[in-house]
Amino acid sequence: MPDFAFTATVNGRKVRRTAQPYQRLLDFLRDDLNLTGAKEGCGAGECGTCSVFVDGVLMKSCLLPVAKAQGATIESVEALARTGELSVLQKAFHKAGASQCGYCIPGMVMAATAALRANPFAGREEIKERLGGNICRCTGYQKIVDAVELARDVQNGHVSAHALDEVFAPEGDFIGRNIRRIDAPSKVSGRLKYAGDMTMPGMLHVQVLRSPHPHARIVSIDTSAALAMEGVEGVVTSADVPGQDGFGVFVHDQPVMARDKVRYVGEAIGAVAAEDLLTAKRAAAAIKVEYELLPAVFDPESAMRAGAPVLHDYAPDNVTKHIPIRVGDVDAAFAGCDLVIEENYETQPIEHAYLEPEAGLAYVDHDDVVTVHSPSQNITHHRHMLARIIGQPIAKVRFIMSPVGGGFGGKEDMIYQGMLALLAMKTRRPVRLVFTREESIVSTAKRHPSRTTLRMGLMADGRIVASHLTMICDGGAYGLSTEGVMRKAAILGAGPYAIPNVRVDTYGIYTNNTPSGAFRSFGALQTQFATETHLDICAERLGLDPFEIRRINAMRDGATTHTKQTLGKVSLTRVLDAAEKGSGWEAGAPTSRGATRTDLGRADTRPPVALGARFEGEAKQEAAE
Amino acid sequence: MLICETYIVATTLADAFAAMARYGSRGRVVAGCTDTLPWAREGRAGDVEIEALIDVSKIPELNVREVRGDTVRIGAATPVQRFLDDTALVAAMPAMPRCAVWFADDQIRAQATVGGNIVNASPAADVTPGLLAHEAQVELARAEGDRIVRRRVALADFVQGPGRTGLGEGELVTAVECDALHGYGGAFEKVGHRRSLVISTVCLAVLVRLDASGRSVADARLAIAGIAPTPQRLRDVEAALRGAPLAIETLELVADMPLALVASRTRQEYRRDVVRAFMTRGLINAAKRAGADPAVLSGELEAAYA
Repeated sequence: MPDFAFTATVNGRKVRRTAQPYQRLLDFLRDDLNLTGAKEGCGAGECGTCSVFVDGVLMKSCLLPVAKAQGATIESVEALARTGELSVLQKAFHKAGASQCGYCIPGMVMAATAALRANPFAGREEIKERLGGNICRCTGYQKIVDAVELARDVQNGHVSAHALDEVFAPEGDFIGRNIRRIDAPSKVSGRLKYAGDMTMPGMLHVQVLRSPHPHARIVSIDTSAALAMEGVEGVVTSADVPGQDGFGVFVHDQPVMARDKVRYVGEAIGAVAAEDLLTAKRAAAAIKVEYELLPAVFDPESAMRAGAPVLHDYAPDNVTKHIPIRVGDVDAAFAGCDLVIEENYETQPIEHAYLEPEAGLAYVDHDDVVTVHSPSQNITHHRHMLARIIGQPIAKVRFIMSPVGGGFGGKEDMIYQGMLALLAMKTRRPVRLVFTREESIVSTAKRHPSRTTLRMGLMADGRIVASHLTMICDGGAYGLSTEGVMRKAAILGAGPYAIPNVRVDTYGIYTNNTPSGAFRSFGALQTQFATETHLDICAERLGLDPFEIRRINAMRDGATTHTKQTLGKVSLTRVLDAAEKGSGWEAGAPTSRGATRTDLGRADTRPPVALGARFEGEAKQEAAE
Repeated sequence: MLICETYIVATTLADAFAAMARYGSRGRVVAGCTDTLPWAREGRAGDVEIEALIDVSKIPELNVREVRGDTVRIGAATPVQRFLDDTALVAAMPAMPRCAVWFADDQIRAQATVGGNIVNASPAADVTPGLLAHEAQVELARAEGDRIVRRRVALADFVQGPGRTGLGEGELVTAVECDALHGYGGAFEKVGHRRSLVISTVCLAVLVRLDASGRSVADARLAIAGIAPTPQRLRDVEAALRGAPLAIETLELVADMPLALVASRTRQEYRRDVVRAFMTRGLINAAKRAGADPAVLSGELEAAYA
């Protein structure tokens, strides 16, 4: 393949390297120049983690073949604080607390830099629009836009540069104060190394072969063609697991790679370590797998029926976990209620979509310690599981938690670290795997999709007498966190309300869908979505204000929960008061909407979504001139 | 991943045609690459191995921008961002800055080309309706021996269906030629799932020129996309508007006229609602920017329709 001579000025220095014709500017900056401030969040121009200036124009370096930048002047995030001092914008990001996981932040800082270069007086709306090509999953954007406004005002001299200084909180008095994050400078400057940014001498690149089938028996796996390829240093399958295969947060039902059968589309079957990514890709594609297709089941209620396809031998009923809670006598209580309402609620699977796709680097160190760097949210548990999987004492396994570029629960599962460890052991070289965005979406856990039936019995004065909640969740092909999610869903399902009669059943069910796992709120969202929506419906039927019906039923200090936990203090009524006040709530039953709202264009409508704040700015400027 | 053995940056049309002839179907012509790279990923084409990528974006002829008399000539490799920052284009194509601001994001606009957007022939292409309203002609070139042969096709005929165009074997789009519409007010209405980086569910380009009083329509140009297999010029609406007073009755009359065109695979009812609202909002916005008499374009009218 013809390499070509590539020259450019990168961050003020002349660069001359041999480049590959298929490299993107992003690959060249990261792999050849080790400038890892630009990240790959999606590889498709959607997220902006890779934004760099090319001849002064901000571009997404994942969409730019490096050959297009021949002779160009390139500035990456590393250029902004080249002297060691952060730029005004970077300081403002630090001051405003705009960096959280930090993975989007170098790109965000670049986009903000471009915005203020384009218009040093840009208003908040225009800033938002100009940053529209960059995605953040942690902040909700407010602090980022705050930071850009702060930088703008400092740059324009409208605000003193001291506004960027740290304000020290009195010792021990931190709540509600603006405390600076100690890791922010490393994030706003792009210096922080996430797992995918790390390299080691002699490092190999890993690619994974994944199942195209939702349910199939693996008849045979032939890795000989892959192994025979030049540059391939190792191939592993489940046959290479020396110890007791299986991981999971509760039940260890998931093999490091598919063993005997595949249970979902995207499940890992084999992994290849090669001298370069392209060779690894080609080798993974050269692994031959013979499948015998099995009937699959994609709906949890179907999976619970007799005769449904069985995913795991240990669970012939496909039930991963059932959590029952029984308080009082629900059936008897319903008979005495003034109002009984039953409704069904559904929630969908949700991808965490952290900006950092999964990545890890593993090696066997000089003392034979198998070492894995990864953005794991659960390294100690991973360490214990991996020790058993590779049949080594715990002292021979080390997990190092790399910075987590967003997790939200999605990085609790040891979904790839096992493969990395096996390849490091097999090749005796450092190995690195970086997921593509598509790989991350197809193979890692989602929020549990749920179906809830909720029957609630109330008295005319709004008191809830009985609540009967049944939730069936699609846990997907493997257990992961399902047990804990079902438990939390059940414990919190009836809400923070003093209800004398409660019956809750939550079921996590195996299907051939992508596994479900941990996700912020961990099951509480699904059942509480049902309970809280239901309370609004009940309030409407009883002619009560939704806040009022909640106050009537609220647990108070000293309450005993449905699982017999005594609560010292209960903040619910204070939260309700604050929410009512903060939302500008119109008192009354929820039977009408919007009559007196002032934030709407006119009754019951919102102004249409618009773009073009920059034109308004221009018009104002022209008017001023 | 898009894997090529060689990346050819053509600097003349002749270079490009020579490379196209040499590689034939083993090569692929690219310009901005903003759609080609995402195409070669899992879920779409997957990993693609191709012998040659032939980049035509640096050919000077494809980067020409010229406003001469009644005609605007835009080289096919012109980045969409130029509709926002080239003052001559802004004056001659008053709806295009409004269109461009909705196109992808500030960064991709700097790279994505006008020709690429046309050749992709997406039913939801943002640039195409704007150009249709300018009566755009597509200029195509191919090599015949040492000679370069050119032909012109109306953009409306060039785009034939989703992903389908009249681009012939060995042909390149070199430029589009449009009516210069100085003195028109321009509007571009778009809705998708979010503001940036979003495919249009519906988008509408509107250009309006008013008579001297600023109270009635002298000429109007409208085109719509996202509702049918190809973007559509709304000639019946234009005819109905020509000479009509700027008034609620006029807006009401024309707002429903394109509804019968809605033939998308999904969400037709929603799209009809959007089209009706966009027609009135787009016309009001364009008329306002064309210098409509404020007495006619009352706040009341705007509150009700814009």
